[in-house]
Amino acid sequence: MENQKERKSKSLARTPKRLVFSALGTGFFVLLSILIAFPVVAGLLASFRPGTELIRKGLSIKIDPKTMTLSNYLYLFGKNEDSDKYFMWYKNSLIITVLSVVLTLFICYFVAYGLTMYDFKCKNLLFTIVIATMMVPFEILMLPMYKEIIKLGLIDTYAGVLIPGLCNASTIFFFRQYLSGLPKELLSAARIDGANEYYIAVKIILPLTKPAFASMGILTAMGSWNAILWPLLVLKDARKFTLPIGLNTLLTPYGNNYDVLIAGSMFGILPIFVIFLIFQKYIIDGMTAGAVKG
Amino acid sequence: MKRKLVSTVLSVVMAAGLLSGCGSAADNGTGNEAAETSETASGTEAEESAEAEEEPPVSTFGAEDGTHLEMWTFVELHGQHYKDMAEVWNEQNPDRPIQITCTTYPYADMHTKLLTSLEAGTGAPDICDVEVGQFPNVVAGLDQWLVPLDDYAADYMPTMVPARMQTYQGEDGHYYGAPYHVGATAMYYNVTAMAETMGISKEDVIAKIDAVKTWEDYEALGKEYLAAKNEEGKYWTSVDTGGTDWLWLAMAEYGDDWTGGFENPANCKLDSVKNMLTMQQKWLKDGVAQISPDGHVDLEAGFQNIMDHNIVSFPKALWYMSRFTNYMPEEAGNWYIAKCPVFEEGQKCSVGIGGTGTVVTQQSENKELAAEFLCWAKMSDEGEQHIWDKLGFDVCNTAMWDKEDFAHDDSNQFNAYFINYPYDVLNDIGMDNIGKISVVAISPTINEYVCTTTLNEVLEDPDYSVDDALQELQDAVDMEQ
Amino acid sequence: MKARNLLYSQKVAPYVFVLPFILSFAVFWIYPLITAFTMSFQDIGAIKSEWVGFDNYTKLLKDKVFMVAVANSAKYMFLTLVLLIPFPLLFAVLIDSNIVKAKGVWKAVMYMPALTSVVISGTLFRLMFSEYKTGQMNIIAEALGLGTYKWLKNGWSGMIALLILACWRWTGVNMLYFLAGLKSIDTSLYEAADIDGASPVQKFFHVTLPMIKPTTIYVLTISVYAGLAMFLESYMLWAGNSSPNNIGLTIVGYLYKRGIEKNNMGYACAVGVVLLIVALVINFAQLFLNGTFKKED
Repeated sequence: MENQKERKSKSLARTPKRLVFSALGTGFFVLLSILIAFPVVAGLLASFRPGTELIRKGLSIKIDPKTMTLSNYLYLFGKNEDSDKYFMWYKNSLIITVLSVVLTLFICYFVAYGLTMYDFKCKNLLFTIVIATMMVPFEILMLPMYKEIIKLGLIDTYAGVLIPGLCNASTIFFFRQYLSGLPKELLSAARIDGANEYYIAVKIILPLTKPAFASMGILTAMGSWNAILWPLLVLKDARKFTLPIGLNTLLTPYGNNYDVLIAGSMFGILPIFVIFLIFQKYIIDGMTAGAVKG
Repeated sequence: MKRKLVSTVLSVVMAAGLLSGCGSAADNGTGNEAAETSETASGTEAEESAEAEEEPPVSTFGAEDGTHLEMWTFVELHGQHYKDMAEVWNEQNPDRPIQITCTTYPYADMHTKLLTSLEAGTGAPDICDVEVGQFPNVVAGLDQWLVPLDDYAADYMPTMVPARMQTYQGEDGHYYGAPYHVGATAMYYNVTAMAETMGISKEDVIAKIDAVKTWEDYEALGKEYLAAKNEEGKYWTSVDTGGTDWLWLAMAEYGDDWTGGFENPANCKLDSVKNMLTMQQKWLKDGVAQISPDGHVDLEAGFQNIMDHNIVSFPKALWYMSRFTNYMPEEAGNWYIAKCPVFEEGQKCSVGIGGTGTVVTQQSENKELAAEFLCWAKMSDEGEQHIWDKLGFDVCNTAMWDKEDFAHDDSNQFNAYFINYPYDVLNDIGMDNIGKISVVAISPTINEYVCTTTLNEVLEDPDYSVDDALQELQDAVDMEQ
Repeated sequence: MKARNLLYSQKVAPYVFVLPFILSFAVFWIYPLITAFTMSFQDIGAIKSEWVGFDNYTKLLKDKVFMVAVANSAKYMFLTLVLLIPFPLLFAVLIDSNIVKAKGVWKAVMYMPALTSVVISGTLFRLMFSEYKTGQMNIIAEALGLGTYKWLKNGWSGMIALLILACWRWTGVNMLYFLAGLKSIDTSLYEAADIDGASPVQKFFHVTLPMIKPTTIYVLTISVYAGLAMFLESYMLWAGNSSPNNIGLTIVGYLYKRGIEKNNMGYACAVGVVLLIVALVINFAQLFLNGTFKKED
């Protein structure tokens, strides 16, 4: 503990050289962020303009109060059929996303834990299968999987949307890689103290993997929030549609409804962004010094 | 820490509850058709109870005790059409009312979903919209997948534009799709811009446009306009590297068809195509035409180009009228629609482009009713009136074309927007002068190769040999057949 | 009581942990995979299907367009590996260090693109790279006196557009993996390095880089597949699956074109199987070389 404090105070020492580095580093990220933010900001501004303006002038980050209007958002939040539908999709997406994040994270953590912390028969075979399932293009599994979901009676249910994705191979793989970096001594020490296997997994190791949980939480949320192809195959009832399905119906070969599309997409970033802000705090809590000795 | 644990547990419990909730709802749906029908029926306006406020909007229309029909589309407005038509149907047929649930899916995914459920043998709707480009995949299942519409359309057939009905024919000769529109190709001219540039009245410009009969006349008028304009970056028209509309027009004029239909192998080395491409190369070299920005006029950059008056004329299907009203409102009153020029006088001068054929699937439990309703909703007077008013399509039933209160209704947005009446142009063309587009299994291959390769070769480099490009196209197509 | 003890034993516990995966694999993967594999040897018609042996594969290997797609995907994969592993790692280390201020803001901004819906970011990038003069790239080119350019019609500029879009969307995500990975490093290692008088650069190469290797391997593995299986970015930029001279065609794009758009599922499955094999070979080679399959000590 003392060591850590010392390190911290040392690093915060404000030598002139440090200040220069700090200014350079921060400046670099300011520039990078401006570049990255440009399309998002342009999109955000476009959501305050009539859709025809986007077609007329392309993207623009000029703020011209004359052409700016709240009408897209007023329409989106107004009392009309489009708005009702939009929030129905929104709610559905939220439900699916929350469910999929919570379930995927815990299931994948335990699978990865089993694959990493123990030596057992067919361990490498299982890991090989995990990697292999990551490499199969979903498009070719689509038809057989659809038939299977019908047989299981899961068609048109959120269970049918969620269950095939819960054991996500890349999430398992990430947890495995993260866990393989942790010292094995933690386990033997806990076993000597008389802890059982499940207690170790939940109470000792899991708290150390908060950063992995946080980053996988963000990723899973993102994947689930934006997923379209599989939910669309499984769901039939328009009342169960998710936001990406709904927004995509606004793009048609007969012309696009830009007004609702842009405002709706921009507002659709919000929940995932909130999830990001919540989770990213936990990425900061990592291993502490001397955990090995513990 | 404890609070966090509680909230996690809560969310897991909530999750489990929701999952099981969904599961049981599904059981109702798959196990018992009647239960599902009554469940959705409670969502209709007629039965607005206290819980109706909580009920999200469902696209279920018609009589709650009516026969239930499920329908899929990829354009929400199409669903609206069936909603209104179902109400009229129920008034006219009180003895056999219907109720329709219409679901709008994203374009590409709806077709994937339809094909997947047709292949799986379960899960398809009663009625489904199919975009013309996707039609070959669906019609491949013939009467195993789809219900032939011949008998139900028979009453309307004599006045339906034949080219359009034939587009949705299957290999067995049956009609499997009901069209929304002709999509007749016509020429759009910016009369206001031409009049200003050439310093003559709009009437004189229109007279000059009406005098255009052949592509030579068209080019001459273009050169006259450009001579008066004399400004860099301004052109008479734009040619497409990302669309085949110009080529179909040429094929229609000569009566060619590169797909060869169901009987013959595809042959892309056609004189019609060659003439069109050679002419376009000449225009590009002469500065008469530019290449459509981003490939064709039906994209954001295309609209910008038209609004900036960089081009003042181009051929496009009549459904492009809605692009004008939606994206270019400030152009109202400037544009005039006319027949397309031809290579040789006496040729056909239009072709039906794009479109959506609506099909009835064999998985439907009420095939006869679904087919009868569909044909009525898309071909009868009531149906056509509604298609023109609400969807803005040039209707296929020519019986409507010369009805005064239909064709010359000034409250119609297109009649108001354009200088002349679109149906006058259609009558002028005539139903037999509209060429047919064939869509068969090889169509996507041809289309794709032309749009990705051939047009780019020939138009981006106007000195490229058209013969070579067409030979390459033919070789690529032969690989697939 | 005995059963309970067995359940809690070190022998049985790992099987309990991996059980969900085995179940999910058995139910949702084995059957569809085998089906897809057998379909790749068939000509799947609407009305009847027939066994055609290796026909789909031989046709595939002779198809010039498929070769274009493979070349594009391979090029894209290689370039994204070069761009999307070192830079995000560097950014993550910088953000994790104490020299950068207001870290939260930069992390949030860099993560934003991945959140934006595909539909909307596709439209935004298409407008930016439009060959029309209102496109941002052409505004810049004109300001530099270069005149307008058809960005999405030429091979090299199309690939650059794809890479810009990929970097824009994925830099933040990859950085996130590395940020999490950095947290698994025992801080006492840095303290030991400090005591030895190591410079920051030495610490990066001798502590950070070796210790973050598992995360790097993860990012490498998923990037190899993501690069080979890229489809969405191309679909976004060209507003569909057709690009001039196929400059944006990828393996999965080809799978869509020949398989799904033309409803030739047998052929689609053959493309999928080829992609699976290529991705597996590259990744297993890479994982073996990295020692990921070795038993941990």
